[in-house]
Amino acid sequence: MLIELRVYTGLEKYLGISHGEKMPVAIDGATTIRDILLRYNIPAGEVTAALVNGLHKTLDYCLQDGDRVSLFPPVGGG
Amino acid sequence: MVDLSPLQEKRYHRNIQVPCVGVEGQKKLLRSSALVVGAGGLGSPAAYYLVAAGIGRLGIADGDVVDLSNLQRQILHFTPDLGRPKVESAADKLQALNPDCEIIQHPFAVTAENAAEVVAQYDLVVDATDNFAARFVLNKACLEMRRPFIHAAVLSMSGRVMTILPYEGPCLRCVFREPPALSAKTTFELGVLGTIPGLAACLQATEAIKYLLGQGELLVNRMLIFDALSMHFATAEVIRDPECPDCGVP
Repeated sequence: MLIELRVYTGLEKYLGISHGEKMPVAIDGATTIRDILLRYNIPAGEVTAALVNGLHKTLDYCLQDGDRVSLFPPVGGG
Repeated sequence: MVDLSPLQEKRYHRNIQVPCVGVEGQKKLLRSSALVVGAGGLGSPAAYYLVAAGIGRLGIADGDVVDLSNLQRQILHFTPDLGRPKVESAADKLQALNPDCEIIQHPFAVTAENAAEVVAQYDLVVDATDNFAARFVLNKACLEMRRPFIHAAVLSMSGRVMTILPYEGPCLRCVFREPPALSAKTTFELGVLGTIPGLAACLQATEAIKYLLGQGELLVNRMLIFDALSMHFATAEVIRDPECPDCGVP
C-alpha cells in the first residue's frame, strides 16, 4: 500500500523534502500515523495536527491505501 | 445609496479601477465593518490595509501596552508609543490614515465571557492573536454569532492563513483539536522576522476584503502555509469534520 505524505513548516528536515512536497510512502496493512513519525524520527511533540484526506485524525489512526497525510508543527504566534 | 464624494473618488481611485471592486464595491466597503483581535504583528498590517482600503468601521481589541520588543514587527506602534495601550496607539495611526473610517477601541483581552458580544458588532473577525487559547475562544464565538473568522499564525520564517465561514467550511478546531504542548516553542524562543506576520496579515486583509465584496475564491476548505526561507507556498486540503467539538454534528 502507498500513502502520500506532506509536511510543513520545519518538519521537512526529517524527510529531506521541501515544504508541502508530496512524498510517496509504502506501508503495510497496520501502519498508524505514529508509526510514520517513528520511521522518520519525527518527534510526536513537533506535530500539533495530522490531517488525512483533509480530516483531523489522531496519531493512532490506521492508514489506508491512497491516504493523503499532512503533518503540521505548532505555529501559534501573531 | 450615497455617492462617493470627489475626495473619496480620488482616495479610492486605485481600488475602484480593480474590476472586482469598482464604485459599488468601494461603497460596500465603506458600509462594512471588521474586528481585528490583536494589535500586534498580524493586527498592525491587517488593520492598516483594511482602513486604507476604506472599510467603514474597524474595531481593534487588545489589552496590552506597547513594549520595546514589539517594534520590530508591530508597525502600528512607534517608539514614542512605548507604554501606551496598544489600541490607543493603533487608533491614532489608523484614524490619521483614513478619517472615513470609524475606529473603535476595545482595550481588553477577548475572553470566553466577552467574545460573542464583541464579535457580534462586526461583519467579520480577523485573528491577529498570538496564542491558541484566544483563537479557540474566537473560533467558538464566531461560530455562535455566524461571523467569518480569518485565521493566521506565524513563527520564525513561516505562517499560515485560513478563512473560516461558520458551518460552511472547516473551523479552526476541525484542524487543531488541542493547543500545542506547553513545551512547544513560541516566537519568544524561535523568533519571527517582522515581515512574516506582515505577509500573513496582508493575505488576511485581502481575504477580508474579498469576503466583504463577495468576490473571488476564499481560503475555505484549504489552508495556505508558507515558508519564507525557501519561499514555498502550499495549500493543504482541509475538510469540515462532522466530529469537530466546535462545529460538528451534535
